[in-house]
Amino acid sequence: MCLRNNLITLVYGMVADPQLSLDLPSDTPFSPLVETYSQIRLKREDNRLFLVLPIQRELEQELSWTQLWQELKHYLQGREKSWATGDSVSLIAQDQLLDVQQLQTIAEILEEVDLVLETVVTTRRQTAVAAATGGYCVEQNKLSQLSLTPDVRTQEATLAEPLYFNQTVRSGVELRHEGTIIIFGDINPGGMAISAGDIFVWGRLRGMAHAGAKGNRQSRIVTLQMDFTQLRIADSVARYPKFLPKSAEPEIAFISEEGISLAKAMDFAKTHEFSELKAVWLDRQ
Amino acid sequence: MSRIIVVTSGKGGVGKTTVTSNLGAALAKVNRKVALLDADFGLRNLDLLLGLEERVVYTALDVLAGDCRLAQALVKDKRLNGLVLLPAAQNRNKEAVSPDDMKKIATALAKGYDYIIVDCPAGIELGFRNAISAAKEALIVTTPEIAAVRDADRVIGLLEAEGIHKISLIVNRVKPKMVEDNKMMSVDDVLELLAVPLIGVIPDDERVIVATNKGEPLVIGDHDCLPANSFMNIAKRLEGEKVPFIDLMSENDNILSRLRRIFGG
Repeated sequence: MCLRNNLITLVYGMVADPQLSLDLPSDTPFSPLVETYSQIRLKREDNRLFLVLPIQRELEQELSWTQLWQELKHYLQGREKSWATGDSVSLIAQDQLLDVQQLQTIAEILEEVDLVLETVVTTRRQTAVAAATGGYCVEQNKLSQLSLTPDVRTQEATLAEPLYFNQTVRSGVELRHEGTIIIFGDINPGGMAISAGDIFVWGRLRGMAHAGAKGNRQSRIVTLQMDFTQLRIADSVARYPKFLPKSAEPEIAFISEEGISLAKAMDFAKTHEFSELKAVWLDRQ
Repeated sequence: MSRIIVVTSGKGGVGKTTVTSNLGAALAKVNRKVALLDADFGLRNLDLLLGLEERVVYTALDVLAGDCRLAQALVKDKRLNGLVLLPAAQNRNKEAVSPDDMKKIATALAKGYDYIIVDCPAGIELGFRNAISAAKEALIVTTPEIAAVRDADRVIGLLEAEGIHKISLIVNRVKPKMVEDNKMMSVDDVLELLAVPLIGVIPDDERVIVATNKGEPLVIGDHDCLPANSFMNIAKRLEGEKVPFIDLMSENDNILSRLRRIFGG
């Protein structure tokens, strides 16, 4: 059998305590590893292209402008181009405070990938004024009216369409997506991919990957070569066993009864099935 | 068309300034006009390595403040024709200049020089953003250590996000003996991870340190040695010449190590 179950250590209850106390929490009903995160995303709805910024008030820390535009650049440049040259984009700025120059910078970043900023949708008056000054169409909405800010809780079950990322995830880059992620490249040490669905790495996985980040234990991580620093699926964490030799074959990581396990990717679909009852993958034999 | 190249690494102490000074001198030796731009405000070293410290009168900040003209601030290297240095200010810090300021200076220098080589400070904060603001290409310096390679990877990611896609790699301080014994990452290991083209490999050598302390780039002084040749080769490769890489392994090549290589030791 080529299964390599049991070989990976499972660490429970790795919790970032906001009180910075050294005491270990005795019970953790909800692991913060399973996070509901906000992030930048590009989506198409009714033939309109929307660039959605995270909602400031839902973020734990304030998202600085430098961080925002760096993430925006990474996100747009790594993305498979799924639009025509010159397509217009509506920016859903949510409650982000943006001035004329910052909107201009966003327009420039979009221009680099052949997109044109046309409309700015915001809940902030100042941002609306800035957008109007900059010559963009403005839609100012009350918080409740934003069609593209669905309540996270009601949206949990549905995944976004897969993200196709066309370059290597280098150290320091954190790729987050509310659906399956497909990476054509490596994840280098220090790089991270976090997905609400599955993660496919068409290259070497040497950094960190977190599949099912919203709690879906059925999520899997597939790569041509497993050499990760850490794997996470839903609320489980595994690190690479020190003495396990690297396999030359593509492997898949999934949650089995023993925790996160590895198997030959080739046969997985035939040999394993997901048990809804136990919320783990079981060997058919 | 002049080329603006930033020499950067992320991690400190891997040899950015040494590479900048030697590369500048090497390019001047092949009759290019080279301006070296020290972007490490507050911690300037490039003038020391070039041995030009006592001749610094004005700095880049004086130029920006309008206290002197750009040509006045440039320190000419008397040993080599065509090599000049624009020193950074030592009494101020990185916040004293902005990316736009650096762009202004580099563009002005580009009118009179074939190469503008910017010596980037360590880190990825404002100093880094200043240094890369004007650059069209980048040379990444790393040593075969995991920390240096990790930081280099991060920096390559940032450069790509900034639209600088012409990136080449210099692996500094390689110890062939240690690589042979499997105690050090090989150049191939580094390349495999970073996935950018290699432009130079520099062996670890005491003479580099001696030259640094003398304030005389190796390619000017003790130029008939392996590290100096490595720097000259990088200059030639920048010029578009195809120069084969020196086989560092051959130095400790003997029957035993060859056998070990054959039998996968």
